[in-house]
Amino acid sequence: MSVGEHLRVGVRNHADTAVVHLDGELDLASAPVFESELQRAEVAGAARVVLDLRDLQFVDSAGLRMIVTAHTHARERGQEFAVTRGPEQVQRLLAITRIGEHLRIIDAPEELAP
Amino acid sequence: MGAGVGVSGVGTDLLVEAGGVLVTSLDLPTTMSQVARLTVPRLGDLCVIDLQAPDGSIREVAVAAADQQLARDLEDLRERFPIDPGSEHPVAAVIRSGQAMLLPEMSSSLLRSFAQGAEHARFMIERNYRSAVVAPLPARGRTQGAVSVIRLGDGPPYGEEDLALVVELARRAALAIDNARLFSELQDAEQRLQAVLGNLAEAITMEDEHGQTVFANQAAADLLGVEAPEAVTSAPPGALMGRFLILDEQGKELGLEDMPGPRLFAGEHPEPLLVRSVVRATGEERWLVVRSSLVMDPGTKRVAYAVNVFEDITGIKRAELTESFMAEASRVLASSTDYTSTLGRVARLAVPLLGDWCAIDVLTEDDELERVAVHHVNLDKLRLLEQLDRRYRPRLDEPVGIAEVLRSGQARIYTDIKPPAVEGYARDPEHVRLLRELGSNSVIVVPMQGATRGAIGTITLASGESPRRLTRADMGVAVRLGRRAGTAVERARIYTERARIAHILQRSLLPESLPEIPAAEVRAVYAAAGALNEVGGDFYDVFDYEADCWMLVVGDVVGKGPRAAGVTALARHTLRAAAISGQSPTAMLATLHRALNRQPRGADLCTVCLVTMRQANGHAQLKVALAGHEPPLLIDARGETTQLGRPGTLLGVIDPIRINETDAELHPGQTLLLFTDGVTEAGKPDRSLGSSGLRRLCREAPRLSLQGLLEHIERSAVERAGGSLHDDIALLALRLLTPDPARER
Repeated sequence: MSVGEHLRVGVRNHADTAVVHLDGELDLASAPVFESELQRAEVAGAARVVLDLRDLQFVDSAGLRMIVTAHTHARERGQEFAVTRGPEQVQRLLAITRIGEHLRIIDAPEELAP
Repeated sequence: MGAGVGVSGVGTDLLVEAGGVLVTSLDLPTTMSQVARLTVPRLGDLCVIDLQAPDGSIREVAVAAADQQLARDLEDLRERFPIDPGSEHPVAAVIRSGQAMLLPEMSSSLLRSFAQGAEHARFMIERNYRSAVVAPLPARGRTQGAVSVIRLGDGPPYGEEDLALVVELARRAALAIDNARLFSELQDAEQRLQAVLGNLAEAITMEDEHGQTVFANQAAADLLGVEAPEAVTSAPPGALMGRFLILDEQGKELGLEDMPGPRLFAGEHPEPLLVRSVVRATGEERWLVVRSSLVMDPGTKRVAYAVNVFEDITGIKRAELTESFMAEASRVLASSTDYTSTLGRVARLAVPLLGDWCAIDVLTEDDELERVAVHHVNLDKLRLLEQLDRRYRPRLDEPVGIAEVLRSGQARIYTDIKPPAVEGYARDPEHVRLLRELGSNSVIVVPMQGATRGAIGTITLASGESPRRLTRADMGVAVRLGRRAGTAVERARIYTERARIAHILQRSLLPESLPEIPAAEVRAVYAAAGALNEVGGDFYDVFDYEADCWMLVVGDVVGKGPRAAGVTALARHTLRAAAISGQSPTAMLATLHRALNRQPRGADLCTVCLVTMRQANGHAQLKVALAGHEPPLLIDARGETTQLGRPGTLLGVIDPIRINETDAELHPGQTLLLFTDGVTEAGKPDRSLGSSGLRRLCREAPRLSLQGLLEHIERSAVERAGGSLHDDIALLALRLLTPDPARER
């Protein structure tokens, strides 16, 4: 669990799946908090990584970049990577920037279970 | 004066004489010697007075004998062989029983029976102890000793009359002896008290209800500025106090009647009083806590004296005042970068704690000395100071004063300034006159040190209104203040400088002016979020793209500060260069995307909205290309809005990017509005304006001028954000004018 600026990040690892839960706003200011949590062993060493965006109240381009970076690193490490659907603002930005097209979007973390 | 069993004529005379003698002295040894002498040789050849000490031992305290040698020998004997209180010696027996003893005939065997050892026995036998009367000395219910009267040799033996006489004499003597003992104890106690009081650090005085000091210890004498306690007790009431100016914590003058001692006598219940005492002659200052209590006379049970204890807390008090001043001054200095204003406040804070007037001078960037603050306790003198400053500005080449401190970086203190010094310093007689009128008698000048350069200014403090003189301790505080002020000024300057640079930089990232487009009006509004220091990441541009074709650009670079400014410049100029080389909107965006990826540290990203406008046949053809950016709005004459374009990939993040070019039309009276997400995200996350909010704003204001519309949107966004924007705002709008030149509001 890490708290900083206006973002809380929680990491859960179950059956080799790391679920990274975001609560609050992911933007330029809070990106470092997110980044440091992603680097934790539970995430970096898992077979599957899911970003749970269901409680993400706001994201901007810098936040999206962070998400894309997580996605890219996961691909490089051979991990499965997915992102849950988020609230309206998040989805809208994913659409406007067409970043959503590069990500696997699921409804809930359980979907990624083995 | 009756004595029970008859007393003869001789006896009466003796008693009368005794009465006279016994009241003359309180000194114990004297009293007892007198009693002993009264009895010898009238009553006997030898008189011994023994007293019982508190520990029960019996001590001889007076001996009288016609034969001096005998007396001395007996004293010596008693010292070597003191009488055992439990023995059968008549003195011991009388002390125990409280009853007098008559020993008319003392045989050798009797003497031996109560002698305290062989030598004692021999002494008594050889000296011919014949007859003795031993009477108790009663006092306060117990026997404090005994009087022994002894006849030697062949005189007549003592009888009952003699016994009665000695008993009576002893009774009277006992009282005198008791008083003398009490007095002696009292004297001892008093001496011990004196010793304690004399060595106490606190000043202690005792005064009566008329204000006359009846006791003072050495510390009190020191406090009052006299040599010895006697000088205090001999001074009339209030005489010594007159040397001092006594003030309470608020600076109000106090009189004798405000002191706790007199107030106690007046029947009040005063709290310990904190006073500031200033020596009128020298200006020396002390902080004292005065506590008083009443002492009753045990005899009359009336209040007799007030005891005053003066605790000197000067050190503590000054430290406390200094620290709270430094804390307040630091707070003021940190509160704003407008150092002219903060230094003015500091100067007002420093007076009167650090001095009667304070002036602060600062070296400007052109190396000119500028007075930024001045304050004086006395308003008329303040005007005088201002006058002095106007007519006689300190010059940087002067040998002493502010100029010298600036050069050397050393703090200076000038105490006890005399007329010759003033004349030497002044430039002309008028200057001398003004300085004399100002009347400063001690001055401190300290440098204001920044962290980088040397002294960037000075703080001057001076005294002259009160008797007080500035000390090295005051200079120490001033030096600390100088350092804080220096750092604050330096910081303020650097900040302002950076802000200026940022502002210039920011402005250079935006077009100097918008081009004139025929039959159209173009306006832009730009507002950067955050403090002046932060360069924003939004940009906009309008340029001619092709013949009769204009390009409008709005973009948003992620980040803030110099790096983002660099990327913003890159974006704007890459797009312009790409446009000049004839690239399509899609190709332009791809070019920018590649340029961003090639950045040394990567990870720079950007959103862009491009719209080309080609005028023909009374309207305009638009082509919209978006890259991660909000779709621009088409606003019709009624204020209804339509979103233009299709989403395109955010630039600089991931490959491949997908861009679409969408066609649209703009007709006269209609407005094309490009904007950045600072507008729609104003008030995030709970009260975002949102694109629906923006469209509503457009609907509300169809009749506004173009500039009016943009300002309306900007105002609403700022309001949404609670008064300060979180993100930059850029609004770029083009309105196609109607052919009929109807004037717009």
